[in-house]
Amino acid sequence: MEQLTLKKIYIFLFSTFLFYGCSEDFLDVDSREKIEAGDSEEVFEPDDFVTSTYGMLTDWDYAFSWLGVTEIISDNADKGSTPTSTGTDKHFLDGLTHTSTTPSIAAMWERWYKSIGRASYAIEYAEEYGLTDEDYKNRLIGEAKFLRALNYFWLVRMFGDVSLQHTDLLTRAPEEEVYDFIEQDLLDAIATLPNKSEYASGDLGRATKGAAQALLAKVYLYKKQWEDALNYAGMVMTSGEYSLEPNYEDIWRVYSENGVESIFEVQARGEQIAHGVNQYSQTQAPRGTGGWGWGFNVPSEDLLNAFNEEGDTIRRDATIIFRGETLWDGREVSGSVENPMYNEKAYSSANLGDADGDKNVRILRLAEVLLIHAEAANELGDSNTALTSLNQVRARVKLPEVTTTDQGQLRELIWKERRLELAFEHDRWFDLIRTGQAGEVMRAHGKPFEDGKHELFPVPNDQINQTPEMTQNPGW
Amino acid sequence: MKVKLFWLVCCLAIFPVGVYAQNTITGQVTDADNQPLPGTNILVEGTNRYAVSDFDGNFTIEASPGEVLQVTYVGFKDRLITVGDDTSITIVLQEDTSELDEVVVVGYGTQKKADLTGSISSIEAEDIVKQPALTATQAIQGKVPGINIINSDQPGATPTVIIRGLGTALSGRDPLYIVDGMPVDNIKSISPSDILKVDVLKDASSASIYGLRAANGVIIVTTKQGKKGKAKFSFDSFYGAKSILNPVEMANANQYIDYFNEGAAAIGGYSLQEDQLHNTDWYNELAQVGSINNNTFAVSGGGEHVDYYFSYNHYEEEGVLKDHKYRRGTIKNNNTYRLFDDKLKLTQNLNISFTNENPKPLGAFNNAYRQSPLVPVRYENGRWGQSFVNQTTGIVTYEAGPGESIGRLYSHGNPMADVFFQNEKIHTTTLQGGFTGEFSISEDLKATSRFGATKYYFDKRVFNPMRERWIAGDPTRTYEEFDESRKNATNEETGIIPTSWAYNSLSLEDIETFRWNWDGFLTFDRLFGKHHVNLVLGGSKEKTNVGRRLYGQGYEVPEKEQYWSIQHVSGFFDNVTENVYYTPRTLMSYFARAQYNFDNKYYITATIRRDGSSVFKAGENFWENFPSFGLGWTLSNEDFLKDSKHINFLKIRGGWGRLGNQNVPLNIDQIQTSTGSANQNYVLGPNQELMFGASVASPVKDLTWEIVEEWGVGLDLELLDSRLSGSVDYYDKTTKNMILLVQPLLNSQFAENFYDHGAEVSNKGMEFALEWRDNISEDWSYSIGGNFSYNKNMVENVKPAYDGMTGGSLNNGRITKRLEEGQPLGAWWMYEVEGVWQTQDEVDNNASIEGAAPGHLRYKDQNEDGVIDDRDKKFFGSYIPKYNYGIRLGLNYKNIDFSVDGFGVGGNKVYNGLKNTRTDNENITADTYNTRWTGEGSTNIHPGADRDIEASDYYLESGAFFRINNITVGYTLPDFSKYVSKLRFYFTAQNPFMFTDYSGFTPEIIGGDGGNPYRTAGVELSAYPNTKTFIFGINLEL
Repeated sequence: MEQLTLKKIYIFLFSTFLFYGCSEDFLDVDSREKIEAGDSEEVFEPDDFVTSTYGMLTDWDYAFSWLGVTEIISDNADKGSTPTSTGTDKHFLDGLTHTSTTPSIAAMWERWYKSIGRASYAIEYAEEYGLTDEDYKNRLIGEAKFLRALNYFWLVRMFGDVSLQHTDLLTRAPEEEVYDFIEQDLLDAIATLPNKSEYASGDLGRATKGAAQALLAKVYLYKKQWEDALNYAGMVMTSGEYSLEPNYEDIWRVYSENGVESIFEVQARGEQIAHGVNQYSQTQAPRGTGGWGWGFNVPSEDLLNAFNEEGDTIRRDATIIFRGETLWDGREVSGSVENPMYNEKAYSSANLGDADGDKNVRILRLAEVLLIHAEAANELGDSNTALTSLNQVRARVKLPEVTTTDQGQLRELIWKERRLELAFEHDRWFDLIRTGQAGEVMRAHGKPFEDGKHELFPVPNDQINQTPEMTQNPGW
Repeated sequence: MKVKLFWLVCCLAIFPVGVYAQNTITGQVTDADNQPLPGTNILVEGTNRYAVSDFDGNFTIEASPGEVLQVTYVGFKDRLITVGDDTSITIVLQEDTSELDEVVVVGYGTQKKADLTGSISSIEAEDIVKQPALTATQAIQGKVPGINIINSDQPGATPTVIIRGLGTALSGRDPLYIVDGMPVDNIKSISPSDILKVDVLKDASSASIYGLRAANGVIIVTTKQGKKGKAKFSFDSFYGAKSILNPVEMANANQYIDYFNEGAAAIGGYSLQEDQLHNTDWYNELAQVGSINNNTFAVSGGGEHVDYYFSYNHYEEEGVLKDHKYRRGTIKNNNTYRLFDDKLKLTQNLNISFTNENPKPLGAFNNAYRQSPLVPVRYENGRWGQSFVNQTTGIVTYEAGPGESIGRLYSHGNPMADVFFQNEKIHTTTLQGGFTGEFSISEDLKATSRFGATKYYFDKRVFNPMRERWIAGDPTRTYEEFDESRKNATNEETGIIPTSWAYNSLSLEDIETFRWNWDGFLTFDRLFGKHHVNLVLGGSKEKTNVGRRLYGQGYEVPEKEQYWSIQHVSGFFDNVTENVYYTPRTLMSYFARAQYNFDNKYYITATIRRDGSSVFKAGENFWENFPSFGLGWTLSNEDFLKDSKHINFLKIRGGWGRLGNQNVPLNIDQIQTSTGSANQNYVLGPNQELMFGASVASPVKDLTWEIVEEWGVGLDLELLDSRLSGSVDYYDKTTKNMILLVQPLLNSQFAENFYDHGAEVSNKGMEFALEWRDNISEDWSYSIGGNFSYNKNMVENVKPAYDGMTGGSLNNGRITKRLEEGQPLGAWWMYEVEGVWQTQDEVDNNASIEGAAPGHLRYKDQNEDGVIDDRDKKFFGSYIPKYNYGIRLGLNYKNIDFSVDGFGVGGNKVYNGLKNTRTDNENITADTYNTRWTGEGSTNIHPGADRDIEASDYYLESGAFFRINNITVGYTLPDFSKYVSKLRFYFTAQNPFMFTDYSGFTPEIIGGDGGNPYRTAGVELSAYPNTKTFIFGINLEL
């Protein structure tokens, strides 16, 4: 009897050990809280990552920080808004008292690097995804390379030496190397991107061969490689893809978005989800009683005078909203808004101050390419070519032809033309620096510009805290 | 498969037990007091013949004259008796008082303390119950070297336990708790009175048998079992009163007015009049004398085949915040069944615990600190006091004449109202139990199978009288106003009322979890001459986190409590329900341990554990191996020391082991998408069609175990007739791959913080313990002991650009901690104060922070770049004590017992966040008032009434303290009845004194998230103050 029970115990023990088993199935537990990758409907196509790289251009930083570091800081614009609204740090930028801890500077630094990261990932993903359509694959890679180059260009002209994300995050690469990298990306993009007219209609707004050529021409302009600049600007001009918009003010209308003059612009729909540049129109719209925005980044008295001196009423009126005026669409700007002038190029007729604006922000257009062409030709001593290009731009806004062939005079006139043509298109400050006028102009404007310091922005303090071996720009 | 085959062989092997006819010897085993000792083992040396004494201590065994009987009983000295001609013998065993014969639980087995090669500390039942507390861990504080326990006196709180230094930041920091062989989440549900002993596996060579969860040490709890013999009844009861140990004196009305007016003069603003209406002592109003009450009833005993233990415990505590209550009822039942000639031993454990809690907002302590004494708790008309001030007259009141303006001193509400309105109830039920079968396959080989499970229920109900709170926010508000505002806010079309205008809200949370574990192992134990071999081989499986959470929130239930359910909420609001089923975690392990000793002189232990955890599914890297070994040499058993008069025991030991931590944070989504207006999407084409984009937010990092490796050496000794005993340990422990929350570099491609293995943490330390015990005479005995531990914690080998994780937020945008190589975990990082700005001229001509003004603290420009910014912040050590120590003194005279326990820490700093974050017109301490800067030259140390809120070392104070944890005097009545075996009365003062220079309420600050070093650990903001308790109690045994 007892033996029998003992046997039972052995059997019991044995079966419990069997229960143990060696299987890994026990460890492979089904997730209940989080949906596992395989069970989710989401499959990511290479285009998704390119889309998010474009999408980065709609970030809020472009609606506020960017205004500070490109326009408010320059002689074209003042901070605007009410005296006590600093816009976090716009008063520092306006007064040229910004430092390495000024948030707008860090915001753009970070934004551009994150955009570069998205572009690089998009390139990598497209290369490895296994797309069979080589042209499509190369086009996606070309688009991402164009965007990467654009972001690096914005970085390098603001900070000089900057780290190349794919090589070393802890130190800064020499400016020259960064430009080489930009140049290579753009050459690759030019080789693979289709012309504007070659894209399917649904792809309108993507980076084109022309956009890459125009950006490369601009890069050469900054590098003073005049022949290259002339070449690439010429390619855009003769591509047959672009022509000047007959009426200057039409450039900023909804109906001319991606129009004949447009080379590259940030796309905006003005509806929830996929806004344009988040709040771009709102931050710059008239403020106060009868206004509908925050009123930042307002035209300076200096800019108004520049228009008036030139007798340039067409561009003045297309660029500036005056207090009390009735706009082209019939909207009356109250006489009691806070500031006397606002940026009309940011004005959205349909969306007013809504956060989800419909304003396509123009990044590159033919008029600028013509001016690059003119400047490069003049520097190469070819004043006739220069005059031809320059006068095309002037003719549209009904200004008399320039006829001087004196290289120095012509240079000054081209620079002035850039100021008036491209006001509030986020280039003025960098033109001042590039052309060496900044110190003189800004000091005359009453701003404490220090030669040898203010040509570059300080590397953000937050970055240097993270990577202490990174060097700071001179004077900061 | 190999393992399975091994089991099969083992299970099928049957070891025959031979019995040969001899003389039959009958006898009885008793203790020195003639009490029978049931369950004594009697073995005829060199044979397989053995017997076990019965209920009355009687036994029979076959033995022939000349053979030797080996008599062993746990807790008594072994005896060897040579069989003579007598067939009837009485054996008296002497109690063994040496700690070395103590049995220590080592995980899947036990060992004599003298045989250990690792570092294990034990705490006995009497030491645990002496410090009245909710959980046994609180009672361990100061008693064991190498364990740092940070207590909280909040009712129902769990202390933080750090064994041999903190080795992780973000992963699980708690030790592994094993109760009667079964892993549990914590030991909060176990009444300390049910605990027989606690063993702490401190070093890796001991703990690695628990592999992947042992990185923070292992605490093994053994609960009480019945002992063979007559039924024993015991009744223990105590009652105590609690109050704040270290109150802080706040400024009174006059001091407050001075300070206020000085501040107002500096920055411009209205000032207060000298004559005010109130002088409130907020802490006096807020704090009450709390109470603690504990009753335990237990019955235990045993018969021939069954031992039983049953107890019921009721614990009730009311905190120093009004109506803050915690109650716990615990039922414990442990039974042991011995079957088939004791070949099969079945043990059943069951612990049922119910808790019932009414929490109150701890933020009230923080809030009370900030309240102006000029604000009353309630106005004369009964309305709640708020910080309204008539800015025209400078009187703190809400009443204003025509043209006078009313403002607020500060934005904080009334803490007494917060406590009053907080209506929260938490109930939990924990069913924890298990079943263990031990089967002796042969004399040497035993198979054990154990199943344990815990079921936990939690429910919480919060009722928020929102309208009443709104009314309380301003004494001029009326119910009509509320209704008017509510009407205006209501959506006319849908009738939906914004939830902020509901009369009340009700939320219910319901959590249910389950866990189980199963262990099976074989133990082989045999003495081959002088070679003692012990082998353990087994496996275990465990499943935890099985369960769900249900949460519901609704608005406007009827006011009577009986209707407070989601069923009765109003339909006019957006109500909320949430439900989640947790992803279970499974663990699977194989383990083996070999122990060998030669002649009790040379010891060697080796263990290996192979663990798999479902947590690491993403990387499909389930498995990891955790080996260890230990060596020991008992010098006192060598010939050259054997006869030493002074050295009774001397052993050196050392070991190495590898441990893991599987409770790690995991990265969730690497790819980001957005269905909203973020920067992920774009529009293209003439109609600007929406394209959804995707981007990489954080790198793909498959995390794995945090691995800890540790080696250590130690020495145990007993001298002078074992009156002096002690031990010394040194350890060097390294977490090889600590997980950090990495903030991506600004210039990197990643946008979101992510977890990654990124640093090492080293903990090196020494531990000393020493005790002297002696009997002076029959009436007098005493003992004195102490322990000291030192730990050096350092973050090392941080991956490039991975440092800089910050923490210690003060909730006002200021942080106090930062991770950096070469610094301890949770190191303080802030400005260094180099004085007080005396004049505006000084501010203008030196590097200063924005807004600096005379009377503000002056921060040192460490890098001398003329700007005060993050680069001028400096490291100031850690909140974690570098050393802690305990002392104890025990004295017995006849029937009187007296003991004192003390505990102290040092080498750390704590942050007085209450003092630092004072803004606007909040109150200050009397000390701040008395020492303040009042103008040029008054002081260069303390700031004035106008000051900033930057974090600086001015607020960082020494965290050192020494506290008398316990003073107990007891009196045991002499035998006065044959029915009562013991009756003792005692008086205990718990935490009666604390010696500290810290200016806040308590330097013992656990902080948020259970002691996360990068949260508020060491920062006093809403910390519960230390309390002192005076207790009277009684122990009765029948």
